[in-house]
Amino acid sequence: MKVTVCIGSSCHLKGSRTIIETLQRLVSEHNLGDKVEMAGTFCIGRCTEGVCVTRDGEFFSVSPETAEDFFKDEILAKV
Amino acid sequence: MNNLCCDIGWHSLCHWGEELCGDRVQIVGAGENSQVVVLADGLGSGVKANILSTLTSTIISTMMAQGMSIEDCVATIASTLPVCKVRGVAYSTFTILHIIDNEEAEVIDYDNPNVILLRDGKNFELTRTAMSIGGKTIYRSRIQLQEGDVFIAMSDGCIHAGVEISLNYGWERNAIIEFMEMMYDPGFTAKTFATILLDECNRLYENRPGDDTTVCCVKIRRRQPMNLLIGPPSDPKDVNKMMALFFAKEGGHIVCGGTTSNLAAQYLGKPITTSLDYYDPEIPPIAKIEGVELVTEGVITMSRVVQYAQNYLEDNKKYTEWSYKKDGASLICRLLFEAATDINFFVGRAINPAHQNPNLPITFNIKMSLVEELSKALEGMGKFVKVSYF
Repeated sequence: MKVTVCIGSSCHLKGSRTIIETLQRLVSEHNLGDKVEMAGTFCIGRCTEGVCVTRDGEFFSVSPETAEDFFKDEILAKV
Repeated sequence: MNNLCCDIGWHSLCHWGEELCGDRVQIVGAGENSQVVVLADGLGSGVKANILSTLTSTIISTMMAQGMSIEDCVATIASTLPVCKVRGVAYSTFTILHIIDNEEAEVIDYDNPNVILLRDGKNFELTRTAMSIGGKTIYRSRIQLQEGDVFIAMSDGCIHAGVEISLNYGWERNAIIEFMEMMYDPGFTAKTFATILLDECNRLYENRPGDDTTVCCVKIRRRQPMNLLIGPPSDPKDVNKMMALFFAKEGGHIVCGGTTSNLAAQYLGKPITTSLDYYDPEIPPIAKIEGVELVTEGVITMSRVVQYAQNYLEDNKKYTEWSYKKDGASLICRLLFEAATDINFFVGRAINPAHQNPNLPITFNIKMSLVEELSKALEGMGKFVKVSYF
């Protein structure tokens, strides 16, 4: 599974870094390091919906507050 | 003609409690490849010293740049400077660094500490000839320039640093040479050399300089072009034209901005890989495209670069951050401030629709003014800057 977080200007200001840190922490806590690949990307053109996160190409709008839920529902449950 | 140029950087510490500095540095270009740099130290401190050193440095630099002889300059100063009522003398000591065609340097000292030349990082003592002009003894030397030469001109505040505070007799010239040889790094800019020396003087003075203290460095270096691309062109049809012109340029290439990087990657037919390493929590991570020196995010990174650039022209205290950190802004600073002498900006005027959101502190005007402020600051550093808009 590949999870990509946008680190472009707009998403950066909306908290990409916190989301990346949260996801990286949860991935390693659940020992999913070999199953989940984390990556960054520059602008994917949907800034108004940011922070833009994709899981194997599927788009999600995530905020620092919803990062843990996103991990539970969309990563942990689907891996 | 050679491919060398001068990187000139200076800064002053004021006598503790004074608002005006009695030392003055003036730089006047004499043709494209020649420079006259004058460091004058006015008698006393405060307003009087400031006036004396301003007059001295302005008269000498202007006259020398026009090709007048040193004898004429000194005679003019002697008959122009106001006489101090307290001391009955009118003077300001001075050092002249005259860089001729970027091939030869003429160094002229009058009562300032002798200029230090570091060649390949080691002290290289200049051969001085004494001459007497209007009763003043002036030392003169000439030397062929080599790439990497660093000339260090100082006011006597440097060699008096720490007198009766941390050192008995102040900081002797030999000790300064030893210190600068130890701190030497061929990548440092003239401004960084000057700041390092001045910081140490300030430390010896325990942050209360007992004299105006000035360091001016001239580093002889090879010209190095650098190109920076930021923003997509206002007309999407111009993308290929803009990219072709940008990548055809000699020297290093920096690409700033998410959309811009994606376009550059497409143009080059190479993948773009983004790192997730936050070396600075406020600066978005960098990316990599084969064939491009550096790929970064746009406005946020660039705002930080502008802050560093403006600080560079002041006390340059922030070089302790950008000179070693690995975030995008610090990397841009090292390429622009240290590596480059000639900088070409390729600025796209496209308006990013996603940034026109009132909740975001990014606007088109901010982007444009960032480039303007940065090019102004880079010109202040003595760089040759060219900006093209698309």
